[in-house]
Amino acid sequence: MRTVSYQRAIREALDEEMARDERVFLLGEDVGAYGGAFAVTRGLFDKYGAERVRDSPIAETFIVGSGVGAALTGMRPVVELQYADFIGIAMDEIYNKAAKWRYMHGGLFNVPLVIRAPEGAAGGSGPEHSQCPEHLLTSAAGLYVLTPSTPADAKGLLKSAIRDDNPVVFLEHKRLYSQRGEIPEGDHLVPIGEAAVRRSGTDLTIVAWSAMVFEALAAAETLAERGVTTEVIDPRGVRPIDYETIAASVNKTGRLLIVHESPLIGGHGAEVAAQIAESCFSSLRGPVRRLGAADVPIPQSAYLETFVMPDRESILKIAEQMLDGAGAAAAGAGS
Amino acid sequence: MDANLWLDLYRRMVLASAWEQRLLRLIEEGQTSGFYHAGQGQEAVAAGGCSALRDDDYLLYDHRGLSQAIAKGIPLDRLFGDFLGREIGTTAGLGAGIVHIAWPALGILGQSGTLGGAFPIAAGAGLSARLRGSDQVVLCFFGEGASNRGTFQEAANAASLWRLPVVWLCENNNWAVSVSFAASSATPNVADRASAYNMPGVIVDGMDVVAVYEAVSAAVARARAGDGPTLIEAKTYRFRGHYEGDPQTYRTDAEVARWRERDPILLHERRLLEAGVAESDLKQIRAAAADKVHAAAERALASSKPRPERAFKGVLA
Repeated sequence: MRTVSYQRAIREALDEEMARDERVFLLGEDVGAYGGAFAVTRGLFDKYGAERVRDSPIAETFIVGSGVGAALTGMRPVVELQYADFIGIAMDEIYNKAAKWRYMHGGLFNVPLVIRAPEGAAGGSGPEHSQCPEHLLTSAAGLYVLTPSTPADAKGLLKSAIRDDNPVVFLEHKRLYSQRGEIPEGDHLVPIGEAAVRRSGTDLTIVAWSAMVFEALAAAETLAERGVTTEVIDPRGVRPIDYETIAASVNKTGRLLIVHESPLIGGHGAEVAAQIAESCFSSLRGPVRRLGAADVPIPQSAYLETFVMPDRESILKIAEQMLDGAGAAAAGAGS
Repeated sequence: MDANLWLDLYRRMVLASAWEQRLLRLIEEGQTSGFYHAGQGQEAVAAGGCSALRDDDYLLYDHRGLSQAIAKGIPLDRLFGDFLGREIGTTAGLGAGIVHIAWPALGILGQSGTLGGAFPIAAGAGLSARLRGSDQVVLCFFGEGASNRGTFQEAANAASLWRLPVVWLCENNNWAVSVSFAASSATPNVADRASAYNMPGVIVDGMDVVAVYEAVSAAVARARAGDGPTLIEAKTYRFRGHYEGDPQTYRTDAEVARWRERDPILLHERRLLEAGVAESDLKQIRAAAADKVHAAAERALASSKPRPERAFKGVLA
């Protein structure tokens, strides 16, 4: 095991897959000699050259749409949107072309395209450079949407995504780029659609993805000090989502809290809540609860930004309410 | 005159026309829906354009008629199958109608259901050919209406910047549903925009199949040589409504009649006769096309409709 940053883990995945398969190439704004807006592709231009590590004009419909065209004709493009918020610019290319081209053309083509996009609030970037947009894509049948939280998952999932014959939106959280973690040696692959249980527990299940995994883990740590054991599940993506693992946990704990940085209203937590309410109703000891960003655009002020996002404190507050409601010993332990 | 070429161009136009006439009958009989954007009047652009391609060149066709896919060589029974929603269709019963027919073996990559969605895809296919070290060329058809999409700006700029092997072939039939080109474009010609992307812009008579063939052949040669894209604007006209049943209140009968005098098939026929081709030879070509279309339609009508499960197949690889 080595300890590397999330950013470096992604770079390693790109490097290894480019070395392994000459059909893999990178296209995006500033991904070339500059090394990417967040330095993720740094060094790859020198190693693979301008043809395969290609600076695009500022043209997001072209970046994604040409990726679809190249994927249809034998290449395995990895394109980068400089900010995940920009999926709005290329929505037709993502939601209609990448996701549906195979289906609507009778299954005659594969679309092995990866769309990398840095997401999330990282301190005052404002409403159009801070969003987590996974919920906008969860109805796109034909598309995978991945949200790695650890360096190991970032590397292993990206390598799987590049090798997969389906289009993948790969959302990298900007706040996690510098976070370090252990990575297995060798050809490390993480299967798409398998949740990871980050912490085991019997009193409460928290499903959280992307950067919120770490807020959930911090809250779970505090709860543990109060005698409550929390199971933290990281689905590692929202499409597909591993309901088997989530349901098994909820059947054990009877309590489910879903946490995401994307908006509460319209966020994918609502879908997860509905699915679990339908499948695990008899196991639930109380209502499924959700936490997400407040129903306002993300403010430009780094100070104000912190008040619209879920964090460990808000998770803790809701968790305590959920445990209080059950009148469990755990509630006593917390008071 | 290149007799073989001229006859081949005639054959392709006649075949597309015969196919469409049969389809229109199927629509009248209620066998398939009227959401068909008839291509009558525009056969020369398709036949001339696609005749300039190799089998392994890529085609992104558009929604006006099926002449483009037919001229590229797609099997006619499968085409009928896509309209009838039968298993014989290229989409194996999913049904495609005027969009989403594909035939990878002949480089037919399909169609974007949103107008202008093909521009970035065409540029990407060109980039792919470049990266694979192939000399394949991409021919992208679109209407003057779609030329106003922002996707054209993004794809045209990148394709020219990197000298990608793409030919942008605009069929300017003057009417984007009900809005004329003059009422929707700041430039009098689509080809005028080529200079903004530092590529050649060519205007060609879209009713003259030989002229289209020559213009597209030159552009294909240029693309294949690595010299980059060309924007060709073929001035043409659609003889029927935007869709079957279109009341066409936006144009006069006189305007349609004027253009019908320049029917591309009749123009080419006249030219062939003047060059000494026997009327009986042309008649034979028309009869062969009719037979081929009839047999294809019968095969498609004999094919089964899919089972309901078909709707759930092919979402993921």
